[in-house]
Amino acid sequence: MGSSNSKGGLNKIFGRYTGAVILVGLILVSYGILKILRPDTFGQPNQVLGYFQQCLIDSVGAVGLYFIIVMGLFDFSIGANCILCAIVGTVCMKNLGMGYAGFLIAPILCGALVGLINGIAYIKLHIPSMIVTTGLALIYESVGYYVSGGVQAFLTKDQNFFGHAPGNLIIACAAFLLSYTILVYTKVGTYAYAIGSNEAVAKNMGINVNKYKVLTFVITGFFDGLMGILAISYGSSMVSVTGMASMSRNFAPTMGCFFGLAFRQFGLPIPAIIVGEFLIQIIYNGFVTLGAPTAIQNVVTGVALLLVVALTMKPVKGEIVK
Amino acid sequence: MSEIRLQAVDVCKTFGIVKAVQHVSIDFYKGEVHGLIGENGSGKSTLMQMLTGIYTIGSGKFILDGKEIHVKNQVEANNEGIAIIVQELGTLSGLTVAENIFLGHEDRFVKFGIKNTNAMVKEANELLKKYGFERINAADMIHRYNFEDRKLIEIVKSTYFAPKIVVIDETTTALSQEGREELYKHMERIRNEGNTVIFISHDLPEVLDKCDRVSVLRDGVYIDTVNASDVNEDDLKKLMVGRELGEHYYREDYGEKISDEVVMSVKNVTVPGVIYDVSFDLHKGEILGFGGLSECGMHEVGKAVFGASYDREGTVTLADGTLIDSIPVAIKHSIAYASKDRDNESIVINQSIGDNICLPSLDELGGSTHILNDKKLKEFAEKHAKEMTVKMVNTDQFVSELSGGNKQKVVLARWIGKNSDIIVLDSPTRGIDVKVKADIYALMDEMRKNGKSIIMISEEIMELIGMCDRIIIMKDGKNSGEELLRSPELTENDLIAKMV
Amino acid sequence: MANTDVIKNDEVLAAEEKALKRAVIASRVRAILPVIGLVAVSLIFNILSNGKLLAPMNIKLLMSQVYVTMIAATGVFFIMTMGGLDFSQGSILGIASIVFCYLSRFNIPLAIIGGVLAGACIGAINGYFYVKRKVKSFVVTICTMFLFRGVIEFATTNAPVQGDIVKTMSLDNNVVKMTITLIVLLTAFFFFRFTKFGRYLKAIGAGEKAAAFSGIETDKMKFMVYILAGAITGLAAFINVVKVGSVTASSGNQLETQIMIALVLGGMPISGGAKVKFENVVVGSLLYIILNAGLVTLGLTPALQQLIEGIVFLIVVAITSDRNSVQIVK
Repeated sequence: MGSSNSKGGLNKIFGRYTGAVILVGLILVSYGILKILRPDTFGQPNQVLGYFQQCLIDSVGAVGLYFIIVMGLFDFSIGANCILCAIVGTVCMKNLGMGYAGFLIAPILCGALVGLINGIAYIKLHIPSMIVTTGLALIYESVGYYVSGGVQAFLTKDQNFFGHAPGNLIIACAAFLLSYTILVYTKVGTYAYAIGSNEAVAKNMGINVNKYKVLTFVITGFFDGLMGILAISYGSSMVSVTGMASMSRNFAPTMGCFFGLAFRQFGLPIPAIIVGEFLIQIIYNGFVTLGAPTAIQNVVTGVALLLVVALTMKPVKGEIVK
Repeated sequence: MSEIRLQAVDVCKTFGIVKAVQHVSIDFYKGEVHGLIGENGSGKSTLMQMLTGIYTIGSGKFILDGKEIHVKNQVEANNEGIAIIVQELGTLSGLTVAENIFLGHEDRFVKFGIKNTNAMVKEANELLKKYGFERINAADMIHRYNFEDRKLIEIVKSTYFAPKIVVIDETTTALSQEGREELYKHMERIRNEGNTVIFISHDLPEVLDKCDRVSVLRDGVYIDTVNASDVNEDDLKKLMVGRELGEHYYREDYGEKISDEVVMSVKNVTVPGVIYDVSFDLHKGEILGFGGLSECGMHEVGKAVFGASYDREGTVTLADGTLIDSIPVAIKHSIAYASKDRDNESIVINQSIGDNICLPSLDELGGSTHILNDKKLKEFAEKHAKEMTVKMVNTDQFVSELSGGNKQKVVLARWIGKNSDIIVLDSPTRGIDVKVKADIYALMDEMRKNGKSIIMISEEIMELIGMCDRIIIMKDGKNSGEELLRSPELTENDLIAKMV
Repeated sequence: MANTDVIKNDEVLAAEEKALKRAVIASRVRAILPVIGLVAVSLIFNILSNGKLLAPMNIKLLMSQVYVTMIAATGVFFIMTMGGLDFSQGSILGIASIVFCYLSRFNIPLAIIGGVLAGACIGAINGYFYVKRKVKSFVVTICTMFLFRGVIEFATTNAPVQGDIVKTMSLDNNVVKMTITLIVLLTAFFFFRFTKFGRYLKAIGAGEKAAAFSGIETDKMKFMVYILAGAITGLAAFINVVKVGSVTASSGNQLETQIMIALVLGGMPISGGAKVKFENVVVGSLLYIILNAGLVTLGLTPALQQLIEGIVFLIVVAITSDRNSVQIVK
């Protein structure tokens, strides 16, 4: 079976660079089409840089969430966690006078702690991760509300170093590198793939499955913290939400992860995640310059994700899909 | 020469009410290939899986080089110097070849938490080269290799650290001749290094050829250990089967004429990659057997007849001209099927006995109003479960709690409830104890006498000879040609000659 | 030898019988826990609110909140029985409501049919990707949820979509809404409990491959059930519009989460299968709404309400989930 998939032809031509070629090709094609349609208002160099900066927030969340997704689990609390972390960071910087150090460290710790709670709850309660994290997201949302005191958390102009280049690029690049390192150069990455591939066999091989599951939740939480820093810095403010409204922040990172999964066969999951998020921003901004309302972003994200997943997965006959 | 390496002392294991291994004690020597044989369900795999930590030890102990060992998983087993190559795929997709080889043993490549991937790949490549598998690249993702190559990688994975004991559990059936030769080479190397190979196989000539000594298990009990040079195949078989295959086990009749009435005609059935151009007729009231090596395609024949194959070509036609092309059509036209994969395909494992028995018959039970009546369903289920003497507390009990034999009885009960005329049984007695086996054989004989037609697919040659009116031998996905007719003179060798 | 074997087997069987009886009792307890929870929650909040919660006026209000959730939950219940998931219900409700509003300007029956068809169409899209393309139901429905949420926002960019106010307002009474809800629930109950429909769904949830080998056309069933669930929620859109009068960008938002929480509170096993009971829908929806309303009547802030809700949710799940099973949980 293996390599005899639909991309066999491309594989022959480009060899090990097939994945990279497809990724760059996707960006060039979508950029090209939109540039032809709107040569003046779309895709000036500084605009493209802007699109890229917009995609960093979700990308950072996605490279963390990827470990969970690879294991076959889900985390529905990343949106709530991200908001909570952003608020905690702001409070530490402004109300507790801890400066940028607090603004950086507090969200990361908060995110990792939330991840730890997720992981422990999932293991101890023995219920699907999707359900546990949904329930916990309810709690994180309301905790966020209390931490913020029910008012909007905002940053002044001189406090949003991480909202624009180079601040956001530094954090994002650090995050990407870290994620890549964990995935390729530590046992965690290997074991996450092993658990995702066949949990029973992995357990048999002596892998402490529960320990690594919890650890992975912590890693995801850690990246949510970074995502929170970028999110509040980019928009300069963050409102705590209730009623599961934080869910909407889950989708773009989740989508990026599926993009990453699709390109795993080429050995490029992390770049694919970033490119996937970037692609969405290009298409979205392109539509906006074409005169579409901002609501189009959701439609674009939804359709893109559906098509990517449906086209990259080859249905196996008789396979049971739930 | 005969220094003891490993002792199994009074080892037992039960699953629910099934006693898989009972008080087994065996000595394994240094520098030998030790064959472990027995029929399906004799407990040989269970014993080895306890040794390697896949199952926990029920009671008793394993003593390795004078020291009692308790391993909880394969990595701990490896650390004690015990490795296993399992029957199924033991490598994980999504990882590279190198990661698979060193899974659980990464620590020696890790410094300050960072894994030196290059060193790992380099060492894996060196190992692969040493084993003569240069064409496999350790940096590649493992799913790029086929089943056979993955088995070779498993050989590397489980023997590179020069383990004292290597268990090879029915690996050879899945390998081509080339792959087998490769494996034999390494078995010999391990023995010559003074270590021990425990070799589980159904292929008796292979066992006699490759092993120094052979131990035999039967129904979970240790029977005997013999020197391979002192015995022949028949001796081993006698030890494995143990009983006089007599009156109340298989069918007794011979020379009965098979009816001329054809109830189902299979023409040129091909399932790409599995079976090719298979044709045969099934007569009323006969038991038609299919035999062959495990990968010969005979199991797919059952699926094809039942309309459960994908991409099937050719036709399956009933006497009245009905074409069978899907499962619902097959069931509607009185065809029943018991799969080899009992837990996934034959019964809904997470449902009650009652639900399982009623499921195919809901249309009949609903009657003209299509309204189901709980009481009626319960009576129906109870009637057929009792008829099949299913050992259960009541029909609300979940099937997942039953033993293999009782599960199979539930499977049969549901099709008897449906009153099917054509019954396809794939490995009907797989993993089932002797008593239930006898029940199933008796039932088959009774069904045959009542004019039902049965297709029996089995890897157990004895039961084919004992039960079938005609036997078709499959080889490499094809019908090997002539068929064997029921006769008291028919021997296993007649069948094996056509299989290999 | 053989004799002792038989005796021992019987002993083991007796022990098994005991264990089974214990398991049966445990599962019965788990089964009635949601009902006990419902009664307890109602009583506690009634006492805490000095009888305000269950006062006749408030009950009317409570009921008006429960209809939409309960109807939509029925469709999701079927899906979850098969072991699938559906996160697109909120968007289905929104789209169907918009369609209903537009068509209500012509006449109401046409509008109801339109809403149901719109829901069924989205259900068919879900079903296509899930069944034909073998994409996980969770992934598919999250995509369609997102996608159609965008469409709803698009349609409501300038102003909320309004139907024919006179006609819709005239239908805003509890008798109509309750009748529709009861019809949906009773019909669903009948088919689920007393025809092969329910048994087939359970079999698919408990073991899909074996279900297929028992003659169930599993792919067709799965596809149809997604369409059905969409259509049922499309019907709920009618009640939704009648109640609120217009459709905003957030119409139906988070309905899917509410449904999931409600069903889980009602004791629904998350992976479906044999232990599913229809009561899960009714008890769960009521429990969810009463818990919500109770917290409101106590005058708690939304954030505190949510905190309590989240904790209660996790506790209920922890109690009702069967932790003894060795099954791998993802």
